Amino acid sequence: MKIRRIAAVWAAKGAEKISRHIFHRQGVTWAGKIALKIDPEILRELAGQIREAIFIVCGTNGKTTTNNILCAALEAEGNKVVCNHTGSNMLNGVTAAFVLAAGLDGNLDADYACIEIDEASTRRVFPYFKPDYMVLTNLFRDQLDRYGEIDITMNLLKEVMQSAPEMKVIVNGDDALSAFLAMDAGNEFITYGIDEQVMDQKESHEIREGRFCKKCGALLKYKFYHYSQLGDYTCTGCDFKRPGIRYAASEIEMGDGLSFTVEGRRVTAHYKGFYNIYNILAAYAAARTARVELPHLNGMLSEFNPENGRMEQFQVNGTKIILNLAKNPAGFNQNISAVMQDGQRKDLIIVINDNEQDGTDVSWLWDVDFDRFQDANVNSITVSGIRCQDMRLRLKYAEIPSMLEPDVEKAVCGRIEHGCGNLYVLVNYTALFSTRNVLRRLEERKTWTER
Amino acid sequence: MDRKITIGHLYPDLLNLYGDRGNIACLTQRCRWRGIEAETIEFELKDQIDFRELDIVLLGGGSDREQMIVCGKLKEIRQDFKNYVEDDGVVIAVCGGYQLLGEYYQTEEGRLEGLNLVDLYTEQEEGRIIGNIVLESDLVSMPVVGFENHGGRTCIRGNKPFGRVLYGSGNDGRSGYEGVVYKNVIGTYLHGPLLPKNPQISDWLIARALERRYGDSALEPLDDSQEEAANSYIFHRFVKQ
Repeated sequence: MKIRRIAAVWAAKGAEKISRHIFHRQGVTWAGKIALKIDPEILRELAGQIREAIFIVCGTNGKTTTNNILCAALEAEGNKVVCNHTGSNMLNGVTAAFVLAAGLDGNLDADYACIEIDEASTRRVFPYFKPDYMVLTNLFRDQLDRYGEIDITMNLLKEVMQSAPEMKVIVNGDDALSAFLAMDAGNEFITYGIDEQVMDQKESHEIREGRFCKKCGALLKYKFYHYSQLGDYTCTGCDFKRPGIRYAASEIEMGDGLSFTVEGRRVTAHYKGFYNIYNILAAYAAARTARVELPHLNGMLSEFNPENGRMEQFQVNGTKIILNLAKNPAGFNQNISAVMQDGQRKDLIIVINDNEQDGTDVSWLWDVDFDRFQDANVNSITVSGIRCQDMRLRLKYAEIPSMLEPDVEKAVCGRIEHGCGNLYVLVNYTALFSTRNVLRRLEERKTWTER
Repeated sequence: MDRKITIGHLYPDLLNLYGDRGNIACLTQRCRWRGIEAETIEFELKDQIDFRELDIVLLGGGSDREQMIVCGKLKEIRQDFKNYVEDDGVVIAVCGGYQLLGEYYQTEEGRLEGLNLVDLYTEQEEGRIIGNIVLESDLVSMPVVGFENHGGRTCIRGNKPFGRVLYGSGNDGRSGYEGVVYKNVIGTYLHGPLLPKNPQISDWLIARALERRYGDSALEPLDDSQEEAANSYIFHRFVKQ
C-alpha cells in the first residue's frame, strides 16, 4: 500500500531529524524501527526499486570501510547509490538506509545499494530481499559472547548464502575460513587477495584462527602469510588450498600511504594500514564483478576519507590526534602495526567498553599483542572506558606501565595539555561514538581556554 | 634454594579460546616477579608429554569441533595424566578443559569421552550460559570474578565445588555452585581470563606446585593493588551496590 509507505518514509525522516538535532544522536536505527512498524513491507518494496544491483558486505573486520569505498567508487562513475554509511548494520539500520534515501513520494531513485550487514543479522534481513552480490571480507574471532563461536557464525552465513543461490560471493581468498565457507555454500564465488609476501612473518605471533583445515581438520601450511590467518595456504591432509585469485594485488608499496597493482592498474591511496589494501581490493573486486569499469577510482580514493573513527584525524590546540576503531584481536593487532608505522614519539589512549554491542566479554584483550608497544616510541599510555581496569592489568602483565582515567574526555584533555603533541586514541565499538563526539567538540572550540 | 616451575600448556593450537594466554602470562610473571624461574612448554598433538617434568598443567577451552579432535588424543595420555593428578599434580582446567576432566560431555551431535580424572560429567542443554560471574571460594579470601560462556551443564556429583555463585550461573545454573576442586586440580568455567583478576588463585596454584616439588610453598607478597582494583570493580558492579 503506497500511502502506508509514504507515511513510513515521512515518519522515519522526522524521527531521524529530531534525534539528530534535539538529542544530538544518530537517529538511524530509531528511524528504521519506526518505518518498519508503520509499513512492514517497506524494506522489501524499496529494495525492489534498485535499478542495477544490491551489494551487501559481511565479515568480521573492514565492513564499514569496504562498503563506503564501494559506494564512493560507484558514485564516482555517476551512479546513485543507497548506503548505510554510518555502519548501522542490523535490520533497523539497513531499513533506515533505504527509507532515508527515499523521496517524500515514497519511492527510491537509485542504481545500486551498498549495505553492510552484521553477520548475525543477515538471517533477519534476507527475508526482505536477496542481494545480487555478497562481499565477504574475513572471519576473525570477535565478540564471542554474542555469537558463541566462529563455527556458529560460519554455519549462519552458510545458511543465508544457500537461501540466496543466485547471489555471487566476492570473497577474500587469502582467508582460509572465508574461502572454505564460499566453497562449502555452493554459491558462485569470485576471489581477491594479496599475491606476495609484504610484511616480515616474524613480526607477529598472533594466534591464527584457521590454523586447521575446515574440510579435514589437518594443519594448514603457509607459503606466506600477512596477518592473523590471512595468506597463501595449503592443507597438509587434503586437497583444500587457497583458490586461484581472480583479483590479485601485487607490487605492494607502503609508506605514507599505500599503492598496489591489480589487473595491470596502479591503485593509490593516502591512508595507512595494511588492511586498507584488502578494503580497497574487496570494493574493487565487487564493482568489477558487477561489470562496472572504474576509470575514476584513483581520483575518488585521493579524496576519500575513511571517517567514522577509522584513522580519523583531529587537531586540538597543536596536538595531532588520530582516532581508530579496534574491536577484536585481529583489528587491534593491525592497529598496533599502523601506530608503529609512525616512528615519531607518541601518546596513546586505549578506551575499552563492555556494552552489549562491544561484546560483554573482554578476555580478547589478552589475545592482542600489546607487548609490541614495549618497542614502539611511546611517551605514555592512558587506559580509559568502562573496563579500563582490565586494560591496565593486561598492560601490567606485559610490563608496560599505564595511567588510569575512566573518563575519556579527561583522559584526552590530560594528554593534550601534558602530552607530546602526537596522540593516538584506540577505541572499541561503543567507545567510538562518545570519543568521537568529545574530539569533535574539542576541535570546534576556538580557543583551548574556553574549556 | 633456587626454585623453578614448569607449566605445561596442553594443545594451545586447538584449545585457545577466551584468552588462555592471560592465564599463562599471569602464572609466569607472578613467579618471575618473585625470582622464581618459570618456563612454559606448549604441547601439540604430536608431542610426547612427560608429566614428571611438569608442575602446573593448563588445559584450556576450544570450540566443540576442536575439542572433538583433542578428545581422540586424550585417551593415549589418560593414564599418565591420571597418575599426575593422583600424585597431587597441579591442574587448572578452564571451560572445555574443565569438561574434558570428567567422564563425558554429551552434545547434540554425540558423546565426547573425557579423561575421567575427576568424577563429573557434562550434558549440553538448550541455550548457552553467557555473562559475568562472581563466586566466593574457600581457597581464597577475595571474591573470584570472571566470565562464563558454556552450553554444557556440569554435574560434579559428590565433589567439592570451586566456589559458591554470588552472581551468574555456574555449573548448571541450578545448584548455586561453580567449578570443581579435586586434590590440586581446579576445573572451572571462568575465563576472562581467570587468573589476572584473581591473583590469590594464581598464587594458590603456584604455592601448591612449589609445595609438591620443594616442600616449600612460601611466596613473597606482591603489590596487587591493580589486580584488587579490577577484582573489586567487578564485585561491586554485580554483587554489592
